[in-house]
Amino acid sequence: MKLIIDSINFLLPVLYFVTVWAYAKAFFSDSPSAKKTKTPLFLSVVGIHFFYLLARTLFLDHPPITDIYEIMTVMSFSIAATYLVIEFRTKVKGTGYFILNLAFLFQLLSTLFIHDVEEVKPVLRSYLLGLHVSSALLGYAAIAISAVYGFLYLMLYHHIKSSRFGVIYTKLPNLEMLERMSMVAITFGFVFLTIAIAVGFVWLPRAFTNFSYADPKLIGTIGIWALYGGGLGAKKTIGLQGRKIMILSIVGFVISFFSLTVVNIYFSGFHNFH
Amino acid sequence: MNLVAVGINHRTAPLEVREKVWYSDDEIRHAVAELKNNLFSECFLISTCNRTELYGVPNNGSPIAEDYALADQLKDFLISFKSASAFVERKHFYHFFSVGTVQHLFKVASGIDSMVIGDIQILSQIKDGYTIAVEAKTTNTFTHRLVQAAYHVGKRTRTETRITEGAVSVSYAAVELANKIFSDLGKRSALLIGAGETGELTAKHLVGRGIGKLLVTNRTRSKAEELVASLGGEAVNFERLTQHLLHADIIISSVAAPQHILTKNDIGRAMKERAHRPLFIIDIGVPRNIEPSVNNVENVFLHDMDALSGIVDQNLQKRKAEIPKVNAIIFEELTEFHNWHESLQVNPTIADLRDYFEAIRQEEVVKNINRFSPENRELLELVTKRIVNKLLHAPTTNLKNGSGESFEEKHTKLHIVRTLFGLSKEARHEEKE
Repeated sequence: MKLIIDSINFLLPVLYFVTVWAYAKAFFSDSPSAKKTKTPLFLSVVGIHFFYLLARTLFLDHPPITDIYEIMTVMSFSIAATYLVIEFRTKVKGTGYFILNLAFLFQLLSTLFIHDVEEVKPVLRSYLLGLHVSSALLGYAAIAISAVYGFLYLMLYHHIKSSRFGVIYTKLPNLEMLERMSMVAITFGFVFLTIAIAVGFVWLPRAFTNFSYADPKLIGTIGIWALYGGGLGAKKTIGLQGRKIMILSIVGFVISFFSLTVVNIYFSGFHNFH
Repeated sequence: MNLVAVGINHRTAPLEVREKVWYSDDEIRHAVAELKNNLFSECFLISTCNRTELYGVPNNGSPIAEDYALADQLKDFLISFKSASAFVERKHFYHFFSVGTVQHLFKVASGIDSMVIGDIQILSQIKDGYTIAVEAKTTNTFTHRLVQAAYHVGKRTRTETRITEGAVSVSYAAVELANKIFSDLGKRSALLIGAGETGELTAKHLVGRGIGKLLVTNRTRSKAEELVASLGGEAVNFERLTQHLLHADIIISSVAAPQHILTKNDIGRAMKERAHRPLFIIDIGVPRNIEPSVNNVENVFLHDMDALSGIVDQNLQKRKAEIPKVNAIIFEELTEFHNWHESLQVNPTIADLRDYFEAIRQEEVVKNINRFSPENRELLELVTKRIVNKLLHAPTTNLKNGSGESFEEKHTKLHIVRTLFGLSKEARHEEKE
């Protein structure tokens, strides 16, 4: 089993690279074979990645969240799975290149530095923790994806405004669709952050004696959750749309990224698992 | 290849000349029937607004000769049939012979010979012309195979190259642009201001693409109502133009007005009221109808004639860049058609050659059979047959294996063999007599 896990670990970045390459070939040079094979290939890679995470969890007897490089492979999987849902929901298959680069990058870093932690704290063996962390990562992956679509929207927006009708104009889906994809990702992200927070509230006080509502990571995550919830609400109520909401999706991601980074680096509390 | 074509198109004659030799379906039917009776064993005629072309297999044509007299006769026929001699001359026509004819038809079917490169209508127009000829019973195996091959070229061109991609008219470019902003035109509404030709055409294309609602407005209300009668939609008051901005997602403005009919302030106010829903404005008025700074308003996309022409030019360049790929397809299909035609030609020649030698052998055996003893007569049959087979082995093999030879070389070879041994139909006929 160890051999299988190690083999897949080295195979995954290669598979992601080939998938990104197929999506790039389909997008930039309209290759018919790449267009035909990229989605089935991607589907298989997501399947293999899922099997890898499952095997790792069962064989090592803990969810793959014990160190930053385990979290990176879960993050890579989260991005890939979220994009897969978006591709199947919107039937738009041309934007994978821009998203899957992130999945490839996270997986590459994980593959290079991952190691099997010998001593795992008992608290990290909890499957409820697995659900809490996976939901949070899926949520953040979706937020990252929404920002990529927001960025693509703004690129196409400015190309159309300034009458530049090059490859961006020709190949990207229409503005309304990019906005919709970004919004699907945000909704997806909001739902997973909600699950992460809900599970956290149930499990964290039970698992940690020093649990505190003043924990910086908890406050940060709830802040981000409230920010996106407010944005979604504003879209529904005041009909915020187009360029502004896409800028907000990017701003939201940047805030999330910095708040989490700052919290993880400069603050300490009960909420550190490794 | 015994095939000839004469034609007139946008490159050889202006519209006022081309329209004089435009053939209706009925005229095509009568013309091909008359030609079949007098000059052709098979023929068909294509007539569109950009070209009239006649293709035929001459009754008594030589396989190689370029029969300019016949071509002139056909040009005169096409002119006189339409009583157009006062307007159309032979010099307005072009002609093709043999394999050149096939190549030309393939170019036409691929769309690279069209006025607008990649025009997809031409294939159905070839089909229409050929169907009339089939109904008039002026076609047969050769023309059937030729037209099938042309369809194949057309289909391959469309699926294997990008020659038909991208809008190549200003009105289509506007619709293409609308499709880059909105994902479902069925949920959007358009407002047509004025009655310019391009504006009307753009509205027509939007209706064709299933636009949810079309509003039409004009300073003269009756003109708006006239347009609504032909395009559908709803005629609305010109005086309440700024109010209509709240309901339309696409505005096509084509008004002859000395100053701007919509300013940045008008659009800015409207955008606030419409909660900044994206607005696409196509200004095809000259001078421009919409204040250019409107494009600075958020979620407003303003494009004028120059921007749309830019899309058209770019798409035309892209289509032109596909021509080498199309030519490669034409070459492949030409080779395929040539091989098919070749098989028709080589096998009968070999059969005729064998018949000719066999006839001589039998004649000599019958003449001399009595000089041989009964026990040697069977041997005589065997030996003479063997001699004939050995004599014919090399010519047969060389006729069949012609790879590397050009089309003309192969036909010259067949022509020489048939002439040397008197294998032409006429020669065989005279010999029998």
